[in-house]
This record gives sequence, C-alpha cells and structure tokens, in this order.
Amino acid sequence: MIADPMIDSRISRPGVPLIDGVEKVTGRARYTVDLDHADALVGRILRSPVGHGEIIRLDVSKARALDGVVAVATGDDCPFTYGVLPVAMNEYPMARERVRYCGEPIAAVAAIDAETADRAISLIELELRRLPAYYTSQEARAPGATLLHDNKLGNLEREVHHEFGNWQDGFATADLVREEKFSCAEVNHAQIEPHACLADYDPITARLTVQSVSQVGYYLHLMLARCLEMDSSRIRVVKPFVGGGFGARVEVLNFEIITALLARAAAGKVLMQLSREETFLTHRARPQSDMTLRIGMRRDGKITACSCEVVQRGGAYAGYGIVTILYAGALLQGLYDIPAIKYDGYRVYTNLPPCGAMRGHGSVDTRHAFECLLDRMARDLGLDPFAVRRANLLHAPTRTLNDLMVNSYGLAECLDRVERASGWRDRIGKLPAGKGLGMACSHYVSGAAKPIHWTGEPHAIVNVRLDFDGGITALTGAADIGQGSSTMVAISVAETLGVALDRIRVIAADSAVTPKDNGAYSSRITFMVGNAAIDAARKLKAILVDAAARKLEARPDDIEVVGEVFRIDSGQQASLPFAEVVKAALVDRGAITVSGTFTCPPESQGGRHKGGAVGSTMGFSYAAQVVEVSIDDATGVVSVDKVWAALDCGHAINPLAVEGQIQGSVWMGMGQAMCEETRYLDGLPGHASFLEYRMPTAAESPPIEVQIVESHDPFGPFGAKEASEGALAGFPPALVNAIANAIDIDIDELPVTPDRIMDALIQRRRQARLTSTLKVAS
Amino acid sequence: MSTSLGELRLVQPSTVKEAVAARFEHPGSRFIAGGTDLIVNMRRGIIRSDLLVDLSGIDELTEITTDGLDVTIGAGVTLAALAHNSEIAGRYRALAQAAEAIAAPGHRVIGTVGGNLCLDTRCIYYNQSEWWRSAHAYCLKNRGDVCHVAPQGKRCHAAFAGDLAPALLVLGAEIDIASAQGVRRIPLSELYVEDGKAHLALADGELLVALHLPLNPPPSGYAKVRLRGAIDFPLAGVAVALAASGPNVNSLRIALTGTNSRPFLVAGTEPFAGRPIDEKLLHELDRLVQKQVQPMRTTIASANYRRIAAAALTRRLVKKLFAEGAA
Repeated sequence: MIADPMIDSRISRPGVPLIDGVEKVTGRARYTVDLDHADALVGRILRSPVGHGEIIRLDVSKARALDGVVAVATGDDCPFTYGVLPVAMNEYPMARERVRYCGEPIAAVAAIDAETADRAISLIELELRRLPAYYTSQEARAPGATLLHDNKLGNLEREVHHEFGNWQDGFATADLVREEKFSCAEVNHAQIEPHACLADYDPITARLTVQSVSQVGYYLHLMLARCLEMDSSRIRVVKPFVGGGFGARVEVLNFEIITALLARAAAGKVLMQLSREETFLTHRARPQSDMTLRIGMRRDGKITACSCEVVQRGGAYAGYGIVTILYAGALLQGLYDIPAIKYDGYRVYTNLPPCGAMRGHGSVDTRHAFECLLDRMARDLGLDPFAVRRANLLHAPTRTLNDLMVNSYGLAECLDRVERASGWRDRIGKLPAGKGLGMACSHYVSGAAKPIHWTGEPHAIVNVRLDFDGGITALTGAADIGQGSSTMVAISVAETLGVALDRIRVIAADSAVTPKDNGAYSSRITFMVGNAAIDAARKLKAILVDAAARKLEARPDDIEVVGEVFRIDSGQQASLPFAEVVKAALVDRGAITVSGTFTCPPESQGGRHKGGAVGSTMGFSYAAQVVEVSIDDATGVVSVDKVWAALDCGHAINPLAVEGQIQGSVWMGMGQAMCEETRYLDGLPGHASFLEYRMPTAAESPPIEVQIVESHDPFGPFGAKEASEGALAGFPPALVNAIANAIDIDIDELPVTPDRIMDALIQRRRQARLTSTLKVAS
Repeated sequence: MSTSLGELRLVQPSTVKEAVAARFEHPGSRFIAGGTDLIVNMRRGIIRSDLLVDLSGIDELTEITTDGLDVTIGAGVTLAALAHNSEIAGRYRALAQAAEAIAAPGHRVIGTVGGNLCLDTRCIYYNQSEWWRSAHAYCLKNRGDVCHVAPQGKRCHAAFAGDLAPALLVLGAEIDIASAQGVRRIPLSELYVEDGKAHLALADGELLVALHLPLNPPPSGYAKVRLRGAIDFPLAGVAVALAASGPNVNSLRIALTGTNSRPFLVAGTEPFAGRPIDEKLLHELDRLVQKQVQPMRTTIASANYRRIAAAALTRRLVKKLFAEGAA
C-alpha cells in the first residue's frame, strides 16, 4: 500500500545559483595556488620509501648547503603531535625515529625554485632499518605482529563493543536469521583541487598567516599554535576558494604544519603544492572495511535483532579513526526501528596512509552490508524490498536504542516517491534479461551534536554587520568548499530580514575577521550555522524595527515589514524605505554588529555509554533510491541506466543547491560502488593518479532524477536538515541489489568491477556444470 | 614526487627531412607530436630528454589522401580528425571506431595517429613517479633488472595499449618510415615486437610518417573493454575484418591490443574460411584467442579478466559483423 503523502512535497521554489558561482565559472576565483606567491619559496617534502622502518640516520647538511635553499626542516624541528581528537594525537608533522607508511613525510625544504627544491630533497641522506610492515587488517592483528604504536596491543586503535536491547531473544524469536560477510575497498575523496598551502611568516612582527585548502580553519589554527609553540593570537588562518573537500581536509594535514614550519625557518613566504600522488598519500579517506552482519527477521519483514562486526583497516595513525569505527556502529540505528543491536568494531593500525572521514563518514560500508542483506532476506521470505523497509519504519519524534534523537522522519515519503517515479511495481521482475532494479535507503546526521573539541561555547556563531551604506555583511567562520554554505548563510539572513538577497555579502573563514567555526564536516553547517545566521538576523531585525518605530512614533509591535519597507497600518499612515530605517538605527549607536548563536542542547548529545556522542545529532536526513542497471554477461560490464533518488532534507533552503548535492552524493556513491578503489603494491599506492583511480566519467553517468522531500524539522533552520551526505550510502547497495535482480548473483565485494562480475559468473557456470555432472553420475 | 620538467629545448622543423635531420643531429632527443603520452612519461621521469623535435608544424604529415590505389593517412593526423573523417568511417569502420574510443575528447584533439601507433607500453610498476619507482626498486623497463610482473622471466611484460593498431592490422595497413637514409615501407605488423622494453622495430632516429590502406577491405569493427566509458586504456581491444560469402566465412582477420607487449594478428584464422558462423566456430575462436593472448599483471584489473574479455569481445564482434553483412 502506498501511504497518502503526509508531507507537502511540491517544491515550487527554484532556488538561487551559488553566490560565488560567477567567480568560479569566469575563472576569477582564487584557489590557494592562484594566490600571490610571486616572492614565495617553493616547498618540497622528502617521503618515506618504506612501509615501516626505524630512522637510523638523517643528514640534511648537503641539502642545507645547496645554493638557493633557504630552509630545511625535519622531525627534530617539531616534537609535538597533532591531530583531531585530543585523546588520539599520535602523529608528528614529520616522522621522528620511526616511519609507519610509504610516503610519510620525513624532512622538507624551501628553496628559491622547484628545481633547487627537488635537488635539495635528493641530497638528503636517509638510512632506515626496515621493520615488518602490514598492509591488511588480518596481518596487523596476527599474534606476534610488531606493534606500530607501542601502547596499542594487537595493533588495535580502538575496539568498540556495544549492546542495546536483548539481541539473543531477538534472534530467538526471528523466523529467519541470516548472516553474511561483506567487504568494501578503501576509496578516496579524489577532490579535484590537489592539496596546497601558502604560509607567510613575518619575523619582525612574529606573525604567521596561513592560507590553505582546509575545511577546518579553526582546528588548523589550534594545531599551528601547538606545533609551532606560538601564541594563537599571532596566527591568522584564511581559507581561499577550495576545490572540493568531501572530508579530505577535515583533519589538519601534515603538509600544512610543514609549510608553516618552513615559512618560519625561512622568515618568509612558502608555497607548498602537492602533486596528485602526494595528495593521494595525504589520504584520510574511507577505510577498507570487512563487515559480518547478522539480521533476525519475522515473516512479515519486521527486524527482531541485528549484530554486526566491523573491521576497518585504518592506516598508520589515529586521525579520525575512533570516530569512524564508532559511527559504523552508531548509525546502524536511526534509520529503522530495530529492537536489539549488538555491535563489535575494530579499528586496526596498518602500514598504509592513515584513513579518516569521507562523505557519509563511517556509515556507508555498514549501510551497504545492511541494505544488501535486507534485500536477500526479503527474497528468502518472498517479500518486496519496499515492504521490508516499510515494516521497520520509525515514528518521529522518538529516541533510538543508543539515545539518538529522531525529530523528523521523511523516509516513508522518500520510499513512496522513488517507488512511484521508477515504476517499480509495474516493472520489477518484468524487465528483459540482463536488466534489473534495486533499491536501498540511507540517512546521515546534520552535524555532530557534541563537538570534538568540547569548549562549552555555542556550536555556531554568526556575526551580522550593518553600516551607513545599507549593506548587510554576514561574517561566518564556516568553510564554503563548494557545497554552497555561504549562499545558505546569505539566504538565511535575507529571508529572516526580508531584504533582497543581493543586499547580503558573506565573508567567510578568515580568523582575523570571522567568528570561530568548527568547520565543514558532519554536514553541520546548514543546521548549526544556518540557525545562528537566523538568530543574528532576527536580532538585527529587532533593532531595525525599533528604529522604524521611533522614527514613525509608533510601537514596535505596530511595525509591519514587507520586503525592504517598514510601515504601519498597511502603509496607509506611513512607511519608511530601508535606507531611512538604517539611518534611524545608526543615529544612536553607529555601525551595528549583532551576534547570533546556536547550541545543541545536552539531551541531543547522545547516550551515556562510552562513545555515545558519536552519531548524536539534532536531525537526520533520510533517503531512498532506486537504481536500474544493465549487465553485459560477456564482459561483466555493468551500466547504470537511471537513478531515482529522494531525500528528506527537512526544508530545502536552496532547492537548486540541494538537488546538486543529492546528485553529487549519488554520483560519489556510484564511484565507490562501480569503479573506485585504492590498491597498494607492497605498501605503495598503485592508484595515485586520476587514470588509475577511476572516478566515473560523464560517459557512464546516468540520469539522476531527484525528489526533494520536506519533513519540516522542528529544530532545523526554516525546518531544514542536511542534504549533502544522506543519499550517498544508498547507491552501492541499490546497485548490488539491482545486479542480483538482473542476473541472480549476489556480490559481496565493492567495487563491482567487471572482473568481479565475471569471476562470479564463471563460478556460477562451474557450479552449474558440477551440479549437472553429479546429476548425470547419480 | 616532482612533476617539473626541467630545462627543455624545442626544435620546430617544417618538413620531414628537417625533422629527421634534427633528430639525427641531437642524439637523445625525442620526436613529439600530441605529447599526450610522452609528456606524462617525462614528468614521471621514465623518459628523459632535453631536446624535443616538434612535429606539429609539418603540413605533409597531416594529410589524408586517396590515389586510386590506396588511402594514405599522415602520421600527424589527429585522432579527432581521423574519427570524424567520413571516408574513413565509410571504408574502414574499425579504424574510425578505434579512434573514437581513444582516451577522451581533449586527448583526441591533439593526439595523433603516429603517436597512438608508437605509444609506449604500460605497466603499473612502470607508469609511476620517480619516488614510487625508486621506493619500490626500479623495474626491468626502467633502470632496474627485474620485471616485477614476472620476476623469474627474462623480459619486460609491459603491455601495449594503443587502440588504432589492431584496426590497422586487420585492414592490412603498411607504414612509411623515414630516416636520414630515406623512406622505407613495411607491413604494420612488422613494426611490433613482443618485448615490453623494446616493442617498436624502429632504429634510433627513424620516424613513422604515413600509413597506407588498401582501398576495398572487408567490413570491419573495433571494440574494447575498460572500467570507464572514457579516458581508460583498453584492458583488451579487438578488431575484426570479416568477409562473408553467403552463410560462410570468406576471410577473417582478428587483431588484439591491451593484452600483450605488442598488438598482433591472431594466427590460425585461415581454416575458418568456407565455414558457417555458428556456435561451434565461435567457440573455437574463443579458444584460439584465449590461447594466443598473454595478459600479465600489468594492470589493476586481473590478467585472467583481460583474457576472457578479449575472447568475449571477439565472439561478439564476429557475430555482429556477420549479421550486418547478411542483413
């Protein structure tokens, strides 16, 4: 049964182009390497040639003596670790004593030009003693394996064991219990702009300015102060235009600190521009994961219990790893009503570049396993995939077993929309040979309700300025990395004030000017910064209304604001244009700056269990999608013919941007599902170029039909939730389910490359032959 | 890590004669046309040269002409021009299809016929940065003495991945090679050697200047498998030229790329003449191709997949060409 739509779903608002779009498409936008670096030195990094080793000797004297070399830095120049989580900072900007992955920085130089810098790097003498290196979770966890970090037994960065509800009973009462193993390859953000950093140190004032590709200027600021032992007031961090993030830059990265160290040592300006290969080595993306998942289900599709073991090959350092392994378990919840859950997570240290956060952080691979297994169990029970999802819906408002708040829930509507749009009911099971339909659901947080750096401060602050010119300037620390966050701030301020959008100017991510912001990650900006922007705009509006009331000798309550006109009695008596109101408001106090804030209340910050803050959020986005595929059984090539995706983002503040973000999520999920994977050859990246790391091209990108569902979140800005991540995790399982529908083969590994399909087809043929031979024989 | 090229000198001749002379004068120099292969390899430090002889200003290399006996294609004709030439598409469909399937539009606009035919062989242990290769231990093809793909063997297994060659092989192309001594003409098949380190039978300083195609070849086609619909080199590429007489094969030629260190004509297709195209024949073809291809672990995709895909593409293409001929 298709439920009646409960939510008004028609989006008649078209949205607006991004406010910085013209600069980008005309080429005027300045990215880090486009900044003025005429007098900058060129930075280069010496990287470890081995996966695991002890540094026996490091001699930089010849490099230092080379003409044109201005500064050389090594691990000796920075005895401080850096990182995101205060409890897990175990990485130096440049290795000290030991290297733990191929490509780890060991030393760096700044020279007058690239050729001299390259030559200086080649003059550095390095002697290493090799240690056993582990490139798989299994090897690293084997008994007797050398420890990467002496205090981490079994090479485990973190073990998580969570139990909610009585899962033993849950499995006992199930009509069907099925367990499967899944494996997802490591994937990379592959953002188009390679890493770069420009650092400028003025030895006279002892001030440092760093411009970088960061998504987290505030964390970078903190780590620069820590690693360079500088007073943070002497540091300025600016984010220029950034060409894509997806999580690649949600951690402070080694090259940023190295560039600053070089700039200080050189008493000048240094530009560090990493190659594509180095950008791949400075990795921090989604780890290779092995999932063992078991689900108990009643005959009607209702889930009775679930247990899940996840092993993540985390790489050589902690980074965001603890959060990733916690997310993988926490976000088993919040999508469906599951009465009992057991989760065991293992984050493993291996001699590979450290992984980190990537779009859909922690949730994607587990969701893949879950949605694939749901479909297989639906098949076992003769149920439709949609029916199984509908049998397990949540009802908002509610709290999950692990104490996550669900305040709005548009999943039922998402299901209805993609089922209808794809013609599922008429087409499923009736497609020609080699064609199939598959579906899956997914969700994601709208910002972590408990920030990593707990300070007690508000989660977001936006300042709004108004001066004699009548221009309104919103100042935000939020990093626009292409997702459109500055446009969102502009719309939020303009809508709240009722003024024209082009009256708003947004200045973002410059620590000298804008208020601190935790950064662009966990899809927090729209929810948190959006709310703070609305709060600031409301405060400004109150000031303007008061001023208009004084001028018109009326009570503030009598002032009606229609666009940029302030009036009383519907304008019959009097009205004031915006410029007049501004003049009146400035008379007493001069230029106005108001500050808006947003804070997630304690009850939104997750359960009391260890790690309970991870997954906590004020609002989940929800998504459903249907994928249609064709499979060539001679070559194993899978083509995606069409995708229907629906996402509940609460309210689309900018529908145009929301549609783009949903398409981007689906497309990125498609890359992970079909062709993207990192491959290491003896610890070296075999994939570190855009030729070998295969993102989908326009040639195989299908039409993606997007539906925006608005469930009007009670706490979101204008009712909005996140829109940039939630639709990603649904694609890989929808694809694998579609392949099963098309050719009756269940694939347990991602990506589903043609060779994996062929292997599965050959295996099936072999088994069929074997079976028929046995029949003949018997 | 570095991607800087260093000091480079460029010589820009306007005739083949000047080009060959310039190359002869400067040992260690290289010819450059589109540069889509060479420059990438130079940035990675796997090819070193401080002087490039730029062929882009030589008009005689960019012509496609017909003289009643054959069609001549200059080595400097771009892949885009080749793909969009209606005469080529009409007579030599395999060639047009192969040209259209190379890399991406941006590459095809500057990449040339000669460049694609003389493409360097490729391997995951070779097409890496200087840092990568030095960290791993250099390979047989570049500064080392062991092939990491087959450490027990004596030769380099890097694979040839040009798309045009198999099409031209089944169409019976001949090529002109210029040198300081003059011009010689050989069948295209004689250009290639099954050795990843030295796969081109060109003497130092020789330049491929043109190729010749017979006017009336049998119907032909080209197909390739790759992970993405654009950019990627072929994991396996197959060209077929098939003439039918009634329900039977009259002549059948098959050539492959992407699987070996050279593109090659599949041997042993002559006995298929006079036989009908049925499942039995297709099965035998499949075995024949699987037996003759020698894919090694030079790509991220498995070698066995490339073997199976090469055979599958062959069967499909033969069937398709036959069906079109019969229609």
